[in-house]
Amino acid sequence: MRNSLFKRMRQGISALVVISALAAGGLTAPLPAAAQAGPRIGIVCTTGGVNPTFSMEARDGHIVLGDGNTMYMWGYALAGQPFQHPGPVLCVNAGDTVTVVLRNNLPEDISMIFPGQDNVLANGATAQPQIANDGTVTSLTNTAAPGASVSYTFVATNPGTYIYESGTNPEKQVRMGLFGALIVRPVSHADWAYDRANTQYTPEEEFLVLLSEIDPYQHMAAEQGQPYDLTKYHPTYWLINGRTFPDSIADNFAAWLPTQPYGALARIHPYDPTSHPHPGMARYINVGTEDYPFHPHGNNGLVIARDGRLLEGAGGEDQSFEKFAINIGPSQTWDVLFKWYDAEGYSETNPVPVTEPDIANLTHGMFYSGSPYLGKLGPLPPGISTLNQCGEYYIISHNHALFQLDAWGMTMAGQITYVRVDPPLPNNCQ
Amino acid sequence: MHTSVTRRDFLRFAGGTAAVAAGLGLIPGLRNNRLLPAQITAAEAAERGPDLYFAGTDGWIYLPPDPPIGQGPVYFPDDLAPNPFNTYIFGFRDITGLDQTQIAKQRMKAQHSAPLFWVNQYNGSNEFRMQLTNLGLQMRPDLTDSHTLHWHGFRNVIPYFDGEPTGSVSVPVGRNFTYVFRPRDPGTYMYHCHVEDVEHVHMGMTGPVFVRPLQNGNTSLYGSGKYVYNDGNGSTGYDREFAMFLSEVWAEAHWCDSHIQLPDWSDYRADFSLLNGRVYPDTLAPNAPIDAAASINSLAVLRNGDGELQTNPNYAHLQYQPLSSLVTCRQGERVLLRFVNLGFREASMTLAGFPMRIVGRDATLMRGSDGSDTSYETDTILIGAGESFDAIFTAPAFSGGSGSSGQGYDTYVLYNRRLTQVANLAAGGFGGQRTEIHVYPNGALAAQKYPNDWGV
Repeated sequence: MRNSLFKRMRQGISALVVISALAAGGLTAPLPAAAQAGPRIGIVCTTGGVNPTFSMEARDGHIVLGDGNTMYMWGYALAGQPFQHPGPVLCVNAGDTVTVVLRNNLPEDISMIFPGQDNVLANGATAQPQIANDGTVTSLTNTAAPGASVSYTFVATNPGTYIYESGTNPEKQVRMGLFGALIVRPVSHADWAYDRANTQYTPEEEFLVLLSEIDPYQHMAAEQGQPYDLTKYHPTYWLINGRTFPDSIADNFAAWLPTQPYGALARIHPYDPTSHPHPGMARYINVGTEDYPFHPHGNNGLVIARDGRLLEGAGGEDQSFEKFAINIGPSQTWDVLFKWYDAEGYSETNPVPVTEPDIANLTHGMFYSGSPYLGKLGPLPPGISTLNQCGEYYIISHNHALFQLDAWGMTMAGQITYVRVDPPLPNNCQ
Repeated sequence: MHTSVTRRDFLRFAGGTAAVAAGLGLIPGLRNNRLLPAQITAAEAAERGPDLYFAGTDGWIYLPPDPPIGQGPVYFPDDLAPNPFNTYIFGFRDITGLDQTQIAKQRMKAQHSAPLFWVNQYNGSNEFRMQLTNLGLQMRPDLTDSHTLHWHGFRNVIPYFDGEPTGSVSVPVGRNFTYVFRPRDPGTYMYHCHVEDVEHVHMGMTGPVFVRPLQNGNTSLYGSGKYVYNDGNGSTGYDREFAMFLSEVWAEAHWCDSHIQLPDWSDYRADFSLLNGRVYPDTLAPNAPIDAAASINSLAVLRNGDGELQTNPNYAHLQYQPLSSLVTCRQGERVLLRFVNLGFREASMTLAGFPMRIVGRDATLMRGSDGSDTSYETDTILIGAGESFDAIFTAPAFSGGSGSSGQGYDTYVLYNRRLTQVANLAAGGFGGQRTEIHVYPNGALAAQKYPNDWGV
């Protein structure tokens, strides 16, 4: 079943070109400073120096989805900045005392919890579950009423990948989008994931894979202030970093996604023992309601940590393990090192050991270069276009519960992203 | 779906019938206007031929027809299915050794699960060549989908041989493509078509594949000389091996494909959970007749002069589901179960009566980087979509006499503890992903000639 994926991709690329042109001419509409900062590809860190204080607001807004639908959302944003989804990626250093001042611009009590962090303070006192007079728990932590603020403080003791999310009516508020990623970096080395030498990675190849889902009826009910029956919960959208495919592989801050700033394309160079010895790093997070079995093609990943804890024994034994399916449970985080190289070293001088069929006898994918070889462009049949720039490889990475590649009836519009492998430098890639 | 008729269902019912009538009148289309004759170049002629030759096409399989599924349109049993079948599939067939006339006759003769194949680990010269052709979808002449063979989990393969169609090439109707693999990492993998993968995977283009380690043949570590990995100590040695391939059928999606309709995949549900392409009790039925001598790289089902799959007397309904799930072994033998899940739901496979040891996962030996043993014993394996597990058990002592079954063997049960997946939608009773392990006394059973061989 063919769909309009290529058309959607081309729209995306066109928009990108337009934006680039505008940027070159200095005509880009001013974006908020916080949202502008950061690389085109890879993790966009929001930082705050030593012992940072993040002033944040909970507010509402809309996002766009793979079937063209727009969705009402709630989200955490930096104070004074517009709505964004998901919340800013907070990057801190181990040992930092981290403060989040959260103002509530939503119509009901909200909060923020930090799974994996100990001894969280709320407004200076130990954060506490909120318990009503009848004994029911109304929130997992102290809340901010509409229009009010609450302050949380904790010491980020352990390096790793974590979640922050609402602890109040989470079955509604987390689903509505009140979540984000927290990355704690080790003090010892900026390019280690943990305080262990074999967690070293290539800083330019650090990526976030934040997985979530949406039941449109739940969001419609919230938008209209109507009750929602959670027993009818039925997600129909599955997102990576707040986007569906193919938006998921667009650049960070893509102009046609003004409220969804974070892309998920991983762009790497092939492993080389001398020129590119260290792996890339993917930080997987699941804020959905069921396991997402994520499958990166290309090579097994090395799982080095889960839930912000290095996989090592009491005596320091390395307990990391390889996987080709990263089966992430709800609220889990998995840290995975990965690299790719052509095990056969195929090139025009070491060609594939099979006669390539005539181009008229194959179907060509829209990312295919026309050549089996990295860094080469080859002929394509008449009328076939490619989005390939410089002979780079595109290696898919996707949820293998394949119905979750769907966007409410539109296939290939869910949790899909790609690893883009550029030819070794120097190359002609943009 | 025992719910009221929705508007969508109604339109499907009305539209589907008309569309099928119209569709059957279409001529099978080809994607490109230019159809080049397959010219054999000198270079091609010098190449070694493929080790295996597979075809992608459509077909029909059998699942227990009672109760029906769906109101308004009855999604299951499919009203277009030829007797005795009832479920439309896409799938692969092993057409190695067939001539062009025989190959043409395999259109709409797909099997599920897809043919089991295996490869020896690369030793520097034994590269593996897999040719794929596309016979089209006879029920759906309007659909000119290409196919690929994606070897799920294969490390460091270039996109050209990965079968992911967006970043690579795929095989149109009537064409051929040869994938070349040099498998360096032993273990249990899976393969599937990656074109329109939600649809093609769910429709059945999925099967298991093993890579046998270089250590095989070394009888000093384990007497059989058969291992899952290059373990160096015999810890993955085994006497018998059985593929346990998990997949699912959502009846509505299969009906939609035969009736020129589109399902909303976000409504996905597993109506049937299959083990090696069948549901209990058919999981206990025998393998199709196997040509053991021809089973060099794949489980070669006997074929007739037309290239058609042969089946056992009284099992005509399983003609396109050739793989049994019954495990047979002698007491004290080490038995390898290679679990692979290409359904969309997690499975929780439980062996009642004795433990299994997990020696591998995702084609990786359970061993830390410092050499420490990370294998573990369990009676339940939680298997996510796209995962594989290698589990070895030592068969318990035979109880004596005619066994707990009264038939000369002891019976144990292997089943999915997610009980909704062992139900076949019937009111009570077992179905779905459930099979048995039969433990025989010493001296019973012949040595296993191929995977899933009963030895009887």
